[in-house]
Amino acid sequence: MSLFKARDWWSAALGEGEEFDQGCLCVGDVDNSGTGHDKVVVGSYMGMLRLFSPHAKDKTSEGGPAEALLLEVQLQNAIIQVEVGKFVSCSDLLHLAVLHPRKCSIFSVSGTAGNVEHGDQYQLKLVYEHNLNRTVCNMTFGSFGGVTGHHSLCIQSMDGMLMFFEQDSYTFGRFLPSFLLPGPLVYNPRTDSLLTVSSARRLESYRYETLAVATEAESRQEPDQPLKTGAKRLAPDWTVVLGEQALDLCAPSFSHASSSIFVLGERNLYCLRDNSHIRFMKKLEFNPSCFLPYASVTDGTTNLLLGNHTNMLLVYQDVTLKWAAQLPFVPVAVRLANFPELNGVVVSLSSEGHLLCSYMGTDPSFFSTPKVDAREADYEQVDAEMKKLQRFIREASRTHDILPKADCEEELMVTVAVSSSMDSPSRSLIQDIDGLSVPSVTVQVKVRARSAVQSPKLTVAIQPPLAVTQDQFVLEPLGVGSSTTVAFSAFLHGRYPAADLGGDVTVSYSSPTERNPKGVPRVLQARFALPLALLCVASSPAKATKLKITVDTNQPPVDLGAIFPEFSAKSQDKDGNSLAFQFLSGAKVTLLASRTSQRYRVQSDRFEDMWMVVKELVKRFDQHFSKLGVKDFKKSFSGPVPLQDYFLCVDRHFQLRVSAQQYQDLLSERAVQFRAIQRRLLTRFKDKTPAPLHNLDTLLDATYSQVMALAEAAEQNRALLEEASVRLRGASHLLVLLLSLWQSLSPEQTGLLEAALLPLLQDTPQLGWEECCDAAVTHLLRSCLSQSPKDQATSLAQQGGPQLGLPPDTARLKKHITLMCDRIGKGGRLSLASEAGAPPPAQLPGGGDELDLPQEATTFIKKKQASKKAKRDKEKDKEEESRETAEASVGGAEEPVKEARREKKESKKDSSKEPKEETKKDIKKESSSSSKEKRDKDKEGKVSRKPSAKVKEKKREPEAADG
Amino acid sequence: MEVKMDPLFLALSYFRRRKLQQCSDICTKILQDNPYDQAAWSLKTRAITEMVYIDEIEVDQQGIAEMMLDESSIAQVARPGTSLRLPGTSHGGGPTPAVRPLTQSGRPITGFVRPSTQSGRPGTMEQAIKTPRTASTARPVTSASGRFIRLGTASMLTNPEGPYINLSRLNLAKYSQKPQLSRTLFEYIFHHENDVKNVSYEENINRKMCFFSIDNCSFNKNVMFYLQALDLAAQATEHAQFKDWWWKVQLGKCYYRLGLYREAEKQFRSALNHKEVVDTYLYLAKVYQRLDQPITALNLFKQGLDRFPGEVTLLTGIARIHEEMNNISSATEYYKDVLKQDNTHVEAIACIGSNHFYTDQPEIALRFYRRLLQMGVYNCQLYNNLGLCCFYAQQYDMTLSSFERAQALVANDEEQADVWYNIGHVAVGIGDLTLAYQCFKLALTNNNDHAEAYNNLAVLELRKGRIEQSKAFLQTAASLAPHMYEPHFNLSILSEKIGDLQGSYTAAQKSEDSFPEHVDTQQLLKQLRQHFSVL
Repeated sequence: MSLFKARDWWSAALGEGEEFDQGCLCVGDVDNSGTGHDKVVVGSYMGMLRLFSPHAKDKTSEGGPAEALLLEVQLQNAIIQVEVGKFVSCSDLLHLAVLHPRKCSIFSVSGTAGNVEHGDQYQLKLVYEHNLNRTVCNMTFGSFGGVTGHHSLCIQSMDGMLMFFEQDSYTFGRFLPSFLLPGPLVYNPRTDSLLTVSSARRLESYRYETLAVATEAESRQEPDQPLKTGAKRLAPDWTVVLGEQALDLCAPSFSHASSSIFVLGERNLYCLRDNSHIRFMKKLEFNPSCFLPYASVTDGTTNLLLGNHTNMLLVYQDVTLKWAAQLPFVPVAVRLANFPELNGVVVSLSSEGHLLCSYMGTDPSFFSTPKVDAREADYEQVDAEMKKLQRFIREASRTHDILPKADCEEELMVTVAVSSSMDSPSRSLIQDIDGLSVPSVTVQVKVRARSAVQSPKLTVAIQPPLAVTQDQFVLEPLGVGSSTTVAFSAFLHGRYPAADLGGDVTVSYSSPTERNPKGVPRVLQARFALPLALLCVASSPAKATKLKITVDTNQPPVDLGAIFPEFSAKSQDKDGNSLAFQFLSGAKVTLLASRTSQRYRVQSDRFEDMWMVVKELVKRFDQHFSKLGVKDFKKSFSGPVPLQDYFLCVDRHFQLRVSAQQYQDLLSERAVQFRAIQRRLLTRFKDKTPAPLHNLDTLLDATYSQVMALAEAAEQNRALLEEASVRLRGASHLLVLLLSLWQSLSPEQTGLLEAALLPLLQDTPQLGWEECCDAAVTHLLRSCLSQSPKDQATSLAQQGGPQLGLPPDTARLKKHITLMCDRIGKGGRLSLASEAGAPPPAQLPGGGDELDLPQEATTFIKKKQASKKAKRDKEKDKEEESRETAEASVGGAEEPVKEARREKKESKKDSSKEPKEETKKDIKKESSSSSKEKRDKDKEGKVSRKPSAKVKEKKREPEAADG
Repeated sequence: MEVKMDPLFLALSYFRRRKLQQCSDICTKILQDNPYDQAAWSLKTRAITEMVYIDEIEVDQQGIAEMMLDESSIAQVARPGTSLRLPGTSHGGGPTPAVRPLTQSGRPITGFVRPSTQSGRPGTMEQAIKTPRTASTARPVTSASGRFIRLGTASMLTNPEGPYINLSRLNLAKYSQKPQLSRTLFEYIFHHENDVKNVSYEENINRKMCFFSIDNCSFNKNVMFYLQALDLAAQATEHAQFKDWWWKVQLGKCYYRLGLYREAEKQFRSALNHKEVVDTYLYLAKVYQRLDQPITALNLFKQGLDRFPGEVTLLTGIARIHEEMNNISSATEYYKDVLKQDNTHVEAIACIGSNHFYTDQPEIALRFYRRLLQMGVYNCQLYNNLGLCCFYAQQYDMTLSSFERAQALVANDEEQADVWYNIGHVAVGIGDLTLAYQCFKLALTNNNDHAEAYNNLAVLELRKGRIEQSKAFLQTAASLAPHMYEPHFNLSILSEKIGDLQGSYTAAQKSEDSFPEHVDTQQLLKQLRQHFSVL
């Protein structure tokens, strides 16, 4: 992150595919020209040695890097490090030391002035070389032992041996103690010691004298052999724990007194005095790559060049950032050099061989924001587009149609075939229930592609308790016209009857287009219906049953055997007017056909068990008579609708939900207790002075087992709830069917009923069937089934209401359903046509943080009950009903409200003062799909009833009905 | 031409150049030939650790368990100004929530997202769990150790041949004797074995609707590994005769991760006695912050600054604490000090910029953000802020193009939503309500939990006269962001207008809870009380 970039003075790209690292760059007047101008020496891992004398670009614009290149030599071995120093005895000239993996060569570089224009000629001459018998890693040089005038070399090998060379002779070699990986190595002339950072992450300083007298390295050629006793062990002079590996070390000697050792760690920069005390340190918030301390103009401080892995070159004065410049690469080595035209040039080298000579300048950094694809503004066109888009938006917001247009042609064809015969052997997971073997049936899905589709996946969704052997298939990508088939088996997997024999096959795939090669995701669905025989087998008819449902037709009776051929084969009754279904889950349903009249009777012990049979019967009648060509086939149900049996089912479901809620409360209570005990125990254990546990551990164990037991019970309850909701769904289906037969409702009306009674919903702790159904039924009652158009209008105006929650009991729901059946029975038309224009209810179920359980519903319910029972009186009934609706739709017109108030006062004298809050909640719940408009609130103040009065009111219901 | 090189040397060189994957590959090859090569083993361990290394100081996020089982705080009801838990009203003359929005935990929105800016401290476990699970709320992470945010790019690590070091088979006692191996091994266990898979880091400078960095770090930490690391560290300290500060710091880090803050404090203190290092100060201050003793942490930072004058991380630490304690002006002072030391510090620039923005100096804020842009920060948030600054500084020509760029740079749906929200805000400002309406809708399309957009949409709906819609939106906004006072206040006004005084009163009370100094709310409440008393 920098404002400026380093100003490019001269640069060159070295070689191709060559590698460079830390040691590969060095600057110095290597050819001893005597001008004090530096040359840049670069060696690469590929063995190329190059010598540059860069000069400003504008002068030799035609030459480029070639002009500045003095020398280029391919050496035999990789070049690990290059150094310039006085390496030859009896010579004060600078020589070039080149370190190879197993060799160290000293070269002299000499330039001969050319006598033609082409310039000078440079030569590289080998002075001497050391062949090394170890792989080496890096080297340092200096006047070891205080010898002045020339430099000795110290080479570190990969296995931790320091080899010392005094010019062309080998002096001695020493192994570093507890060595693992080589670290940077540097000679500190002020203390005549060698510094390195060892694998133990310590900065270690070894005095040269100590090294000289320590154990000879040759004596332990085998690193595994133990040290010879008696020899002097090599020990560092001092060590400093850094706690991190160092990238580089430097012990610069500037003229001023402050003598410091700089260590560039992986995460920190340290500056230490020669006596190992930290002068300062700086935490680096980036990954550094190289550094170079240099003399500062301010006394007592040191300047520092620091390269990092975010392509930055930072200049610090001690710890203060003075300048930050952007580089075009990550530098692996950085040096300062003086060139003829310019002094103090920063020479940096990248790992790929980019050599850059730069200086600090105020060139803005290269980063320029990429252009956003801004179109040329053709205003007419833009206007037209805007208009078009706005029209779209208007249309969309009017029709609420956000669905994409369906493609004219589907890319895939999905055909589902349910096998007509049962599998043998059965593939169900439960082999038999109560001695009856569970059959399974094979379903084949054939997918055919019209065009190429990618990553098709097939999922099978089926309602419990039915299950399939495999519900997910990943298909191969399909080509044009190819097809593939998958097969699975469906079977009963639970001990209760299913409510729905249908299943869904969903294929998701993506169809690639030209602009979108990945494909547009698409989904295709197909339905299939499983045979009834999966659920039941034929058995002998039962005579005495609790429940009966009679279906009338207007056609002569038919042979049941013909209608249910698969069951009649096993049936004993050959005359074809009785048939019994033994459900695998235990229930038995008998179907009787009247010999004389056109009636059929279904009987069973449980209401919901009959659903499958009735449904099947109705369906097969339709098929049968349409096959016979009967046009005006009619079937009907004479009523009354067996609501009480239906309510049993509702109650069972509700009870399970309540107990689920209780389990949850208990669980959270126990969990709180558990955590409290845990916390106390933790305090005990963390205490330094151990205190007795006071049986807390026993308590913890006990709570734990309670939690586990509760969780298991809750789990069991959940399974039961699942069963109950399936039963409830079956019962609701049957109810809807009976209602539609009873009043011969049109398919649309039946659909509405179904939508109200069978929400597409799974029971969750937050939302369940009861409140959804109640809300829907209330809405129906208030809209299309309400008798006064005024109510209808007002109720439609109210949308958005309080959150739905688990009701305290089912009384209200039952009353609403009863009322709905009544109204339908009286010819109420189910139609939402008048509402088509109204926006959908803007109900946003919140986070579900709190389920505020509504209080007991009071007055309004009572009223409704009364009206139901008093329905003989037509006139009165009308009046009553209008009142109820007014109340059901709380916040209706003023008038009914007042009336209701008056009436309440008459009927209940005990109603007087009581908590305001209670009623408020009641009202909110009551109008679950209506909003809290201000009028309800007005009413709140006056209409209020004690919850304790509830019982009494219930008892008094019959009286009210009479009146 | 090919030149033969020693593989270990090459690996070392790669490591130095941070080509970690290549380094690890070479080491793997060496280890295949010679499984007992300690040097290669150690180098590979280092390379793998480096791939997932995160500075421990940046790791700060409390999990639910830590929050709930934390009994180390000194006072449950702290004096004002001494606790991070109760962000008191601003005593440094900072802006009010009317001007500067708050986070869910009640602090003003900062200019820079860092790990701890998102943590809220709920009262109970149930509350913690039931906090709405949106992508950008303060719901604490469920795992024990929290999130790991790493500066720079994060590497993904795949280890197809199973774990590299089988820790259960390791004889820790043996390794603790070998100083050249033990530190490497420790870092490996500490950083690598707790499986940091994927982390993200975003700079965030923003207005009104702060962006949160995206919570897509998944991890799966096992306390076992910390215990093992602790074990190793303890043995190594013992081996070093309790004289090695580094091992003490590592012990402290382990204790910290294990939630034993007092023990961690002891270790860090001891390490500081031994040798003063910047990191130790930072760790210790972190412990004090976790112990809810911000004043002690501040003193410690100052002590550290005496030893290491001008250390940027220490200064930043002070500024962050001041910011968290709602003392914006002194935070800004310290951020300025940071900039004196390091004028490329993004966090400092961003925070000063956002502070200027919220103190009604958009022109100056614009300069700071422009500086960031020149420095190469190039992301959606920055353009977002630039756009808003331009708008408030009345440079309308730049506003839309800034947002255009912000749109082009969005990385996810939440950002997209925020950009649309801001455009909507601008549209409201210039009076183009249709555009504003569509923008807020788009914001909601992109992020269905955008409470601010719900709120503003509700106001627009109300103008259109659709009271029910408006009410529904306000209720949604209030349930999504209970800490914002605006939806409550708006709901209160709305209810009051349509005559629902009771509802108005409750909403106004909620509004007062989240912003006690709001004058309008107080007036409304007063009016309502009068009304009730007349009745």
